[in-house]
Amino acid sequence: MSALLKVSGLSVAYGAVPAILDVSLELQPGEVRVILGANGAGKTTIIKTLLGLVRARSGTIQFDGKHDLTRLKSHQIHQLGIAWVPEGRQLWGSLTVLENLRMGAFIEHDEAKVEKGIATMFERFPRLKERRHQLAASLSGGEQQMVAIARALISKPRLLLMDEPSIGLAPLVVRDIFDLVRAINQDGISVLMVEQNARQALALAHWAYLLEIGQIVESGPAREISTKERVQEVFLGGAA
Amino acid sequence: MLTFGFWEPVIVIAAINVILICGLYITALSGALSMATAAFAGVGGYVSAVLTTNLDWPFVPALAVATVSGAIIGCIVALVTLKMKDFVLKIATLAVGEALSIAAFNIKYVGGANGFSGIPLYTTMTWVLGVAALSIFVAWRVDKSRIGLGARAIRDDMVAAASTGISLRTVRLVTFGIGSALIALGGALLAHYVLIISPSQLGFLYSLNYIVFLLAGGIQTLWGPVLTAILLSGIPELLRFANEYRLIAYGLIIVAVVMWRPEGLITRSRRSAKGNAAAKPDRGAAAPAKA
Amino acid sequence: MDIFLQQIMNGAVIGSTYAVVAVGFALVFIVLRVVNFAHPEIFMLGMFSGLWAALHISDNLAVVLVAGAIGAGLGGLVLERAVIRPLHGRNMLMTLLATLGVSIILQNGMAIITGPDPVPYPTIIPNMSVPLGPVSLTARQLVNFAACIILLITASYYVRGTKYGRATRAVAERPDVAAAFGVNVSLISLITVVFASLMAGIAAVSVGLLYGSAWAFVGLLYGLKAFIILLVAGNRYFEGVVFVAIALGIIEALITGYVSSGMRDVVTFTLLIGVLYFRPNGVFGSYNA
Repeated sequence: MSALLKVSGLSVAYGAVPAILDVSLELQPGEVRVILGANGAGKTTIIKTLLGLVRARSGTIQFDGKHDLTRLKSHQIHQLGIAWVPEGRQLWGSLTVLENLRMGAFIEHDEAKVEKGIATMFERFPRLKERRHQLAASLSGGEQQMVAIARALISKPRLLLMDEPSIGLAPLVVRDIFDLVRAINQDGISVLMVEQNARQALALAHWAYLLEIGQIVESGPAREISTKERVQEVFLGGAA
Repeated sequence: MLTFGFWEPVIVIAAINVILICGLYITALSGALSMATAAFAGVGGYVSAVLTTNLDWPFVPALAVATVSGAIIGCIVALVTLKMKDFVLKIATLAVGEALSIAAFNIKYVGGANGFSGIPLYTTMTWVLGVAALSIFVAWRVDKSRIGLGARAIRDDMVAAASTGISLRTVRLVTFGIGSALIALGGALLAHYVLIISPSQLGFLYSLNYIVFLLAGGIQTLWGPVLTAILLSGIPELLRFANEYRLIAYGLIIVAVVMWRPEGLITRSRRSAKGNAAAKPDRGAAAPAKA
Repeated sequence: MDIFLQQIMNGAVIGSTYAVVAVGFALVFIVLRVVNFAHPEIFMLGMFSGLWAALHISDNLAVVLVAGAIGAGLGGLVLERAVIRPLHGRNMLMTLLATLGVSIILQNGMAIITGPDPVPYPTIIPNMSVPLGPVSLTARQLVNFAACIILLITASYYVRGTKYGRATRAVAERPDVAAAFGVNVSLISLITVVFASLMAGIAAVSVGLLYGSAWAFVGLLYGLKAFIILLVAGNRYFEGVVFVAIALGIIEALITGYVSSGMRDVVTFTLLIGVLYFRPNGVFGSYNA
């Protein structure tokens, strides 16, 4: 089976400071893969490079075996079926919930399909329907995360990039979010997630990478990775 | 006395612009870019004009008082704008400049809308070259001093500078005080050369010239702005075109410098490397391929 | 009392032009984070394009207005692609300087073509008075006012009620996220500058008709005012910019009528310093720029 996403030898630098160095990873269709790493390890840089928001210094990003994402602009990358749940949600706070969802469906020109997509999202997240005319900035953290996920799902992506979906949320909400990711994946959407919350993420993922100071230091099936000493030490409570 | 014939006005104006740009350079050391340069120069010009013309003072004491009045107004502006953030500070200084211009416009004692004319000719080539050399020396000294280093630290990172115990208030008072004093001195010399000073000369459009000199020359070194001031005040005088063509050339130079030498004509390699590293690839999506 | 109302009405007419220029200026500032000092010169280009069309094509009002829009729109298009876009991501002061350079070039370039003094506009609208209850406006004032109000309503509808307007607001707030959701940010920037320019061009023609002249340096009358209006209003609400612009027009008219025209700008700048001192983000609040 050919990989949905294949990153080879990717390096990114901000000026003279390297952010990630020679990162290679891949994702098979239907999989959930997680990149674990501490703050500043370069997780967000990887996601932003996949999205074309940050330019790679070297390396390639193959999507679906035929597109090199490093050569495309962000809006073109989205049209290939890649959607983003950014770190800290990054909703348009001055737009209403409904407007945020409509922006999620920006590339869909058929108004009827947009309406149907919105209806589907409101079915999945009834809370958002109640609040559809509120400004996104006025919602609670958990509700905002729902909007961020709904905004990404409404375009029916093939690959969902999730940047620390659990950050800043209450433990109960975090569990809901991870359950939601599992459900999304069962709908056939592949997910690449970066996380610090290793326990929950590893329970969900098929495969995991460990990122340290911009480089992948461990890679393997999630079950095996969770037994590695380094992961135990840094993420699963050993060092706490 | 030195004479240069045809060249004299060109050299005098260029030298006065050097004095003003040295003053603005000092003022801007801490990152607070004043948009009221022409207004501070105008204060110097008006003060000296009133003292010599209306009160019959000799030239040197009048110059001294003009210089001190520049320092005082600089310190007042420094205190008023101390807490303001970058962009608001620029606008506030702009408003101060415009307010001074309007004040001059409405004060009958200094000629009102018609401006102050009949100022005695005192400024000579020797004077302007001497003061220009002095200004460069002062700017160079301030740049290298403890206050100068503190000011640069504040410009680069206000939080870090604060934690090292450098007082923003001291830095701003000293840089605005000395810088504005030089600017007012230059303005007084100008008034005693062109023999008339009008309220519009204090306005934002005139101040912009000096901002152009400073930014086009590069804020990282003193030499960049000084050289740019000499070039940009000299070249248009030498091109004997009609006024409009000169101004078009001026506009083209501004656009060209901003597009192709964004850090200014003269840069410090060490500093520019640091500047790049700090530049986030913000909004990179819309400007790809610029790694 | 009637004179007072008449002054207010005259001020509102002037303020409506300020509003169109300021809204265009504000849109570009909010969406692109660019202080476009060449915007008033785009206005001037529209004014002369309308004049050119009136002299060489037809003195039909619609033709002249459209010509103004086209001239200014093309100017905006070139400005965005040649100067603003290449400077994208640079310090705000750098784009300010570059657009200032462009404005100097345009002012003086036009002055070479048309001379440094105002050029007469042909009489397209008859010089008659239209009574409106206790006050009256000239037909020219009425055309100017109506054109500006229609432009402002159109702009409001575009920004609030259309898909691209929504995308424009999204780009203004979070350009990266908008790009990642399929919005071509570069295209939105271009559309925004051109839209602002079209508005300015139409308003400029109506101003040319009102005063019966076009002038290469007319931008100087509107540039700094638009800037001040944006600072006083803050960049958060479109409606705030319109409100402050019209209020400024009325205040100026009242001061000119009851005090003196010399005091007019004193009030403008006092207002600015006062607002900056008490509300550094403007009366209606700002996004962080």
